[in-house]
Amino acid sequence: MAMRQTPLTCSGHTRPVVDLAFSGITPYGYFLISACKDGKPMLRQGDTGDWIGTFLGHKGAVWGATLNKEATKAATAAADFTAKVWDAVTGDEVLTLAHKHIVKSVNFTEDSTCLLTGGNDKVLRIYDLGKPEAEPLEIAGHTSAIKKALWCNNDQQILSAADDRTVRLWDKNTKEAVKTLAFDASVSSMEYIPDGEILVITYGRTIAFYNANSLDLIKAVDAPASIHSASLHPEKDFFVAGGDDFKLYKYDYTTKEEMESYKGHFGPIHCVRFSPDGELYASGSEDGTLRLWQTAVGKTYGLWKCVLPEELSSENSEVLYCPPAEIKA
Amino acid sequence: MSGMKTPVSVLRLPRGPEPNSRGFDPTSPRFIALCPTTLPSSSSSSGSADEEEQRLRAELRERFLRTLLLMTGKRVRFDMHEHVRVHARFGASDIDVLNLQVCDLETPLGVQREALLRSQDVIACSFEV
Repeated sequence: MAMRQTPLTCSGHTRPVVDLAFSGITPYGYFLISACKDGKPMLRQGDTGDWIGTFLGHKGAVWGATLNKEATKAATAAADFTAKVWDAVTGDEVLTLAHKHIVKSVNFTEDSTCLLTGGNDKVLRIYDLGKPEAEPLEIAGHTSAIKKALWCNNDQQILSAADDRTVRLWDKNTKEAVKTLAFDASVSSMEYIPDGEILVITYGRTIAFYNANSLDLIKAVDAPASIHSASLHPEKDFFVAGGDDFKLYKYDYTTKEEMESYKGHFGPIHCVRFSPDGELYASGSEDGTLRLWQTAVGKTYGLWKCVLPEELSSENSEVLYCPPAEIKA
Repeated sequence: MSGMKTPVSVLRLPRGPEPNSRGFDPTSPRFIALCPTTLPSSSSSSGSADEEEQRLRAELRERFLRTLLLMTGKRVRFDMHEHVRVHARFGASDIDVLNLQVCDLETPLGVQREALLRSQDVIACSFEV
């Protein structure tokens, strides 16, 4: 029986949600962090969207947020010219790393010992979290603000996307650019999938997939509207994308065909990511909300419950909430 | 056709943030497992150190509350963020010390008869005892 997707709305932010990231799968489940222009990044339980805590301390919009694999540490990048490292269990601020301009992106290495930052001063910085007083390693080269910087290839290389319309692959040790990709439009987002070495890049209305080592193009798909973010399913059978028209699109990765589109957000979508188990994806929007969407609509998972037709009218039903039928515009 | 599909049911909606707390529940299984406890544990070896800490905390809290009482009705100097320094007559604070009620607040724009100062904006207050 075909079912209609019920997105779960996570409220709490008071301004646009501009970035989000999942942790890996831990003994306590997996977690989700959201970056918001209200300056208060939040940690949530990944499979339910339940709020766990808010990281308080930044004095400006938070542009980037990330968790380490174990969800024990969080890092945030903000308009107050700092990147901060947090204890993701207690919510305490652990480290403040001063920068010379707005910081846009933060990324931990696999072992969480180093933090990569990038922002409007166009320089990539690598901080050794064991020696926070030491000067960071700096990699210069981009001619415009850096939007996103990610570790790749076992943390030996770095991928960065900037407003200079390039994506560059750097060697961490030589600090040289190994490869550069140039685009006609600004790159809106980047996602790195270590398993399979795939890089997902969005620009204009295009979602493009590259080999992360060679930066060779694998395939590209054009969406009906300008896309701000896309994410590839861990099993690489689907990818999802969202952007200017407030809708979330789901595509078959193999055939590149659009499978579904979902309305729900009341503003452009800024970020979208699949959960580490691929069972759901989260989207962050200009409307200030995060929404969780099921990959397999109708499956019992997290807060979603598969209810058979006879159970819906049964008095013994444990289902407390059934969304009303929406009026189609 | 899609208008006839049944929407997926949910058990409940995701829980939102608590209004007065930053969260990170110290009684959650993850917190207990991953964080060293600062509250008294059942082992006797840490018992006396925790009792001492509790005693000191209680003493500091009492001193703070008595200071607030002493400040009542007095002309107080408030040093705030962004190099702001104002004088006012202190009235009272709310139960969570989130806001401070003052009167005759001297500001560059004139004297405000009644005002509320946000505690988080205040760095220090001083007054003549």
